[in-house]
Amino acid sequence: MLGDKESRRRVLLKFVLALTCGSGLVGGLSASHSAAASDDYSIVASVQNQTLVNGSTSRLPVASVSVTVTKTDGSKIGSGVTDENGLCTIVVPSRDNYLISIDTASLPDGLTMIDANKSTVSISKDLFTTNTKRVTFFTGQGAESGASEFERILQRLTDGIRLGLIIAMCSVGLSLVFGTTGLTNFAHGEMVTFGGLMAFYFNVILEIPILISGPVVIILGGLFGLLLNWGIFARLTKRGIGLISQLVVTVGLSIMLRNIYLFQFGGRTKQLSSYSKQTNLEIGPIGITPRDLTTAILGVIILVSVALFLQRSRLGKAIRAVSDNVQLASATGIDTRKVIKLVWFAGGALAATGGIFRGLDEQVSFSMGSDLLFLMFAGITLGGLGSAFGALIGGFFIGIFVEMSSLLVPSELKVAPALFILIVVLIVRPQGILGKSQRVG
Amino acid sequence: MDWNQILQNTVRAAVGVDAIYFAIAALGLNIQFGYTGLVNFGQAAFMACGSYGLGMTAQYFGIGLWWGIPLGIVFVILLALIVGIPTLRLRADYLAIVTIATAEIVRLFVRSVKFNKMFGGTEGISNFSREYRDLNPFDPGSTYGIAPFRFSGYTLITIIVGWTLVAIFACLVWQLMRSPWGRVIKGIREDEDAVRSLGKNVYAYKMQSLIIGGIIGMFAGMVLALDRGSVQPDNYSRDVTFYVLTALVLGGLAKVSGSIVGSMLFWVLFVLSDNFLRELTRNGPLRLGDFTVIQSTQVGAVNYMFVGLGLMLLMTYRPQGLFGNRKEMALDGR
Repeated sequence: MLGDKESRRRVLLKFVLALTCGSGLVGGLSASHSAAASDDYSIVASVQNQTLVNGSTSRLPVASVSVTVTKTDGSKIGSGVTDENGLCTIVVPSRDNYLISIDTASLPDGLTMIDANKSTVSISKDLFTTNTKRVTFFTGQGAESGASEFERILQRLTDGIRLGLIIAMCSVGLSLVFGTTGLTNFAHGEMVTFGGLMAFYFNVILEIPILISGPVVIILGGLFGLLLNWGIFARLTKRGIGLISQLVVTVGLSIMLRNIYLFQFGGRTKQLSSYSKQTNLEIGPIGITPRDLTTAILGVIILVSVALFLQRSRLGKAIRAVSDNVQLASATGIDTRKVIKLVWFAGGALAATGGIFRGLDEQVSFSMGSDLLFLMFAGITLGGLGSAFGALIGGFFIGIFVEMSSLLVPSELKVAPALFILIVVLIVRPQGILGKSQRVG
Repeated sequence: MDWNQILQNTVRAAVGVDAIYFAIAALGLNIQFGYTGLVNFGQAAFMACGSYGLGMTAQYFGIGLWWGIPLGIVFVILLALIVGIPTLRLRADYLAIVTIATAEIVRLFVRSVKFNKMFGGTEGISNFSREYRDLNPFDPGSTYGIAPFRFSGYTLITIIVGWTLVAIFACLVWQLMRSPWGRVIKGIREDEDAVRSLGKNVYAYKMQSLIIGGIIGMFAGMVLALDRGSVQPDNYSRDVTFYVLTALVLGGLAKVSGSIVGSMLFWVLFVLSDNFLRELTRNGPLRLGDFTVIQSTQVGAVNYMFVGLGLMLLMTYRPQGLFGNRKEMALDGR
C-alpha cells in the first residue's frame, strides 16, 4: 500500500517536471504574428529623474537610456535611446498591446528606478487614444530605493496601519449586522463607496471643504444604512425570507448600486480637492503626509470611541447582547428591532467614514468599496464573524499584513496573502480570534 | 428606431454563444447552489480553469489543444479543494466568502505581470484554437441560416458544439439527480443533519458536488474561449458569477430546464434592453428639457443595474424562478 502511494507520488513528480521542462522550451519559441501597418503609431518613452528639493519634487530628463519595445509574446518591435529631453520615440506597427522596458544598466551612475518593478510598463491597445502613447519612467531616490531594509519595513508598517484603520472602520458595520441579524451583506462595500462618492460630490462639485462636509457625509451614510434596512432587509425578514436568499439579495443590491454609481460618476477614478497636494513630512525614516497623519490619528480616535461605546454605554451593551444571542437579549427586554436599526445606522456611518478616508488616502471611484470587500471579510473572519471587537482587531491586522506582505510578493498580488489567512483561520479556528464556536456549526 | 434589427438581435441572443456558455455555467452552478445548497460565488474562477486550461496548452506547455480538458479538470479539482476543505464543514456563508475571494485572487494571478509567461498577463492568451478551427466543416467567411438565425461559419460551429454540450450536461444532471447520489445531495440541502444521521459522509458529498459543478462550469469557460479565440482575464470577473446566478434564478433553481431557459431568457432581455437603449442614445443623449436622462456611455451601467434589480426582485417575489416549483426551494434548511 505504502509502495503504491510512493510510486504514484513519483509519477506525479515526473509529470510536474516534464511540464516545467516543456514550458521552458515553449517560452523560447514565440509565435509572432505580423499586423498590417495602417497608420503610424508610436510610443514615446520619457525617462525623468525625480528629486526632492526643499520639500517639493523636481523632475529632470535623463538622457542616453536604452528603451526597448516588445510585443507581449516577447518578439521585439524596436528600441532606442533617450535624447537630452529624456525622450525616445519608437514607431510601432499597429494599435496593439506592448511592453516597454528600460535597461536599468544604462542609467547614469547613481540613479536607480524609484520602484524597481516599474522598469517595465505594459500598455494595452485601448490606451492608444491618439496615434502616440506616452510612457514615463521615474528614476531617483524613491520612497524605497536606497532605503535600508529596516526603513522599508517601517514605511510599509506605516502604510499598513493606515490601511488597517480604514478596513477596521469599514468592517465594524459588516460584522455587527451579521451578529444581530445573521445577514452576510455583500453590498457593504457599496456603503463604503457611498461615503467616498458623497465626499466627492460635496468637496469637488459643491466645493465645500472636507472638514465641514465630512460630518454631513457620515450622517448621510448612517441614513443610507437605515434606508437599506427599512426599505429592504427589515421587510425581507418580515416576509420570512431566509438568510441565504437575503444573501443573494445583497448580491443583487451590490450589482445595482455599483452600476448606479457608475452611471452617475463614470468609470474613472477622481481626486478629492481638499488636501490633495501635500508633500511628505519626514519623521525619522518614515515619510507621511500631514493629511495621512491626521486621518490616521482621527481613525484611532474613532475606533477607540467605537470600542468604548460598545464596552461602556447602555446601547453598546445592548448591541453586544443582541449579537450574542437574539432570543436571550429580547427575553431580557431589549428592543431588538431598535438595536438592529442602530446597528445599520452606525455601520453605515462608519462605512461612509472609511470611504471618506480611503478617498483622501487614494482616490474615489465607483468600485472603491467593493474592492475592499474581500479584505473586510478576511478581517472579520479573522476577528470572529459577528463580534465588533473582532472586526476592529481583525481588520486592523489584515491591513498591516497586506501592506507588509508587499515586501515579499509583487504589489499587484499583495491581497493574495489575505486569502491565505482567511483559509488558515477557517481550518484552524473557524470562529476567529474572538468568536464563539457555537456560531459556526 | 430600427425595431426590425433590435428584434432580430434579441431573438438571435436566445441561441447565441453567450446563452450557451451561461447555460453550461448555470447547469454547473445549479448542482452546487440549486441542488446541494452550496453558495458558490466563484463559478467564474471554475470557468477560468477551463479557458486557461485550453490556453495554457499552447502558451505554456506546448501540447495539443485537447490536453486542455484534463488540464482544466486538474485546475478545477485543485480550486475546489482550496475553497472546499476549509469551508464545507462550516455554515453556508463561509463558502460564499471564500469562493468570492478566491475567484478574485485567481483573476489577479492570471492577469499579473509576474506570471505573464504562464497566463499572458492582462492581454490573456490567443492563438491556441487553430486545432479547433481546423475541424470546422463550415466556411468561416460565409453566413448560414435564415434570418434572424444567421450566423457566420466561424460562429456556427461553436453554436452546434455548444448546444450539444448543453444537451449532454442537461441529460447528465438530470440522470445524476434521479440517482441515489442525487437524492443524498438534495437531502443535504434540505437537512444536513438528517443525512448525516443516516451515515452519509456529508462533507465528501458536498466536495463531489462542488467538483462536478465546477467541471461543468469549466466547459462553459472552454466554449467561451473557443468562440472568442482568446482567453481574457477580465472575462472572469466576480460579476460574471452573479450574472450566471441571475440567469439561474430567473429560470428556476433546482431544475434542469431552469438553467437553460433562464440563460436564454437572460440574454434575450439583456440584448433587448441593450439594443433599445443604444438606439435611443445613438443620435446624442436623451434629454427631458434640460435634464440629460441617459447618454450612450451609460447604457452598459443601466443594463447591469437592471440585472441587479432583477436578481433582488426575483429572490424576493419569485425565488422559484419564473417557472420553478416553490417546494424545491428550501435554500435555508441549513
